[in-house]
Amino acid sequence: MLAQLAISGIVVGSVYALVALGMTILFRATSIVNFGHGEFFMLGAFAIYVLKQGFGWSYPVAIAIAFGLLFLVGVLVERVLIRPLGSAPFLSFAMMTVAFSFLFKGLTRFFYGRDVSMLPPLLNGEPLDFGSVVLFPQDFLVIAGAGATMTIFFLFFEYTQVGKIVQAASQAPRGAALVGINVPAFHSAMWGVAALTGAVAALLIAPSTLVYPDMGGQMLVHAFAAMTLGGFGSLGGAVLGGLSLGIIENLMGGYVSSSLVEISAYLVIMLVLLVRPQGVFGEWRTSRV
Amino acid sequence: MRRTTAIVLGALSFAVQSTGCVNAQETTSSPPIKIGMFAPLTGSAAFAAKVAYGASSVYKDINDHGGINGRKLELVLEDDACDPNKGIAAVKKLTAQDRVFLIHGGWCSNVVLAIKPEIERDNTLPYVVLGAASASISTPVTANIFQPVATTQAVANTMVDFALSRPDVKKVAIISHSDEWGKSHLQPAIDALKAHGLTPVETVYFERGSTDATSQTLKLRAAKPDAVLAVLYPAELAIYLRDAYKYGVRVPTIGTQGASIEDTERRIGIPDAVRDLYIFYPLSQTISSDQFKPWAEIFKKYYPAEPIDTITFIGVGGALAIADVIKRLGPDVTRERFLSEMNKLTNFDSGVQASTMSFSPLDHAGIKSGNMIHLVDGVPTIVSKLSTPKP
Repeated sequence: MLAQLAISGIVVGSVYALVALGMTILFRATSIVNFGHGEFFMLGAFAIYVLKQGFGWSYPVAIAIAFGLLFLVGVLVERVLIRPLGSAPFLSFAMMTVAFSFLFKGLTRFFYGRDVSMLPPLLNGEPLDFGSVVLFPQDFLVIAGAGATMTIFFLFFEYTQVGKIVQAASQAPRGAALVGINVPAFHSAMWGVAALTGAVAALLIAPSTLVYPDMGGQMLVHAFAAMTLGGFGSLGGAVLGGLSLGIIENLMGGYVSSSLVEISAYLVIMLVLLVRPQGVFGEWRTSRV
Repeated sequence: MRRTTAIVLGALSFAVQSTGCVNAQETTSSPPIKIGMFAPLTGSAAFAAKVAYGASSVYKDINDHGGINGRKLELVLEDDACDPNKGIAAVKKLTAQDRVFLIHGGWCSNVVLAIKPEIERDNTLPYVVLGAASASISTPVTANIFQPVATTQAVANTMVDFALSRPDVKKVAIISHSDEWGKSHLQPAIDALKAHGLTPVETVYFERGSTDATSQTLKLRAAKPDAVLAVLYPAELAIYLRDAYKYGVRVPTIGTQGASIEDTERRIGIPDAVRDLYIFYPLSQTISSDQFKPWAEIFKKYYPAEPIDTITFIGVGGALAIADVIKRLGPDVTRERFLSEMNKLTNFDSGVQASTMSFSPLDHAGIKSGNMIHLVDGVPTIVSKLSTPKP
């Protein structure tokens, strides 16, 4: 049972990690904590669902267009809702992300509010036995997809010049602007990338969780817990936090009480803030929220 | 042919008969009878909006046939989003602003329990539950609150009796939400098992909005139950069944009326995962049966874009009971007389519900039992006994 709980925890934790990674990328690039990130996840799921189930398009086409749409949504959010705030107080940015979160949720409810929809798995098939561990083929895809996405972002930020420019533009925007870097364009692109990671996470997990307008709320809490555990602003921390949270939830449910599964994320947030507020890999950093 | 079929046809002609009593003057001069309704039209339980639409289709059909005793029914529908605060606001609006004659509303038990004090304060206001099933709504009895749907007590008792209908079932486990709705099934189920000399071999909680039931399913598997009672909403039931299939929990799962067997199969997308699924079924016939066609046609007439589902008809029995009682009042429609007549409703057979409805001054839980539904060769079928799982 321990192995199964741990492996299943890694599967669901991979998705938490991916969503947390999207929030972390945005935080590193813009110093904004996006309370609407759960809705990027939800919109990603609905975009794929509508294109796949509604229009009957093949998965590759639906995924490609959905990813493009979500990137565009992220860019538009930055351009239309965030950039006009300029140098407004940090709280204004937070409230704006909360506001567009409710806006997106409300709009989705308006169009799809009366049903819980099913998205077929990318990989069909019977459960596979590995000794005491059982996994669906889709579970492998979740781990592989999340792992590949996280690796790409890690390599991008750590080993490419553009990645380093993004970080520089975040840490010293005025200096970056003075040397000719188009800081607003970078910020726009990072909002787009963050929204895109939400869509990737949705693609991986939505076939298991089903698709409905409120699906982003729980995911946001888990992503926050993962970021808090790993350390705000740390890419590795977000990944470690997400995976750890998935495992913690399952172990709590399996060995302590199933009543504790859903409060595990909140317990993690409280414990980390009390014991090590900067998280495992985090550093103290000034933020806009 | 069941006796209810005749009553279905009778009920369908109900409005037509009423029309016969109408003259032109009455139609134009009599004010409409305002019925307030609230239901989750948005939010996480918005799938239940169709319960309101089902009841609404009955009222619309009655109006299209001339109304009741010459008076039209005017429905005022409010959204509670399954949120107690919004439910309270909706009731205040319906009573203070819209000044409705009665309220027929409420799908979410937490909302109905939140508005209960408000309803109790205005004890002349008739309140008929739309679909909320918590037994705490009608027990203990409140003079002006009537529950014309199977309560969680009735559902839990039926689920336990059904689980034990196979003599070799001795070990029963439960997976449940821990909210008010879950608890209102859980305790009656435990009590019903106790009455049979049993206690659950395992009880696990699976919360709403959860994405994975691994830990709960593994605990259930370790308990080696003969049957599992699943007190879960539709999305979570699908997630549990998928994980139960994944981890090899091949025992009958018996669900509540919160879920539809057709939707559950569609959501999971794995036919074998619902092979041993049985769900409490509050209706008299399967919705695809010929006997149920007239009801489906009425609904489609007014809500052509809405898919028809089991829960579409959960509020229909209450709507027909309300219409029947108003008709009995004749021209003198007062709240006091309505409450008095509701208390006299005995063995009212709507033709829609699985059992007849009865109220008395001492008992406002009108429905005491229901059917169980199961997919036989992929077709929803009402069954009376639990089958042995196929290997």
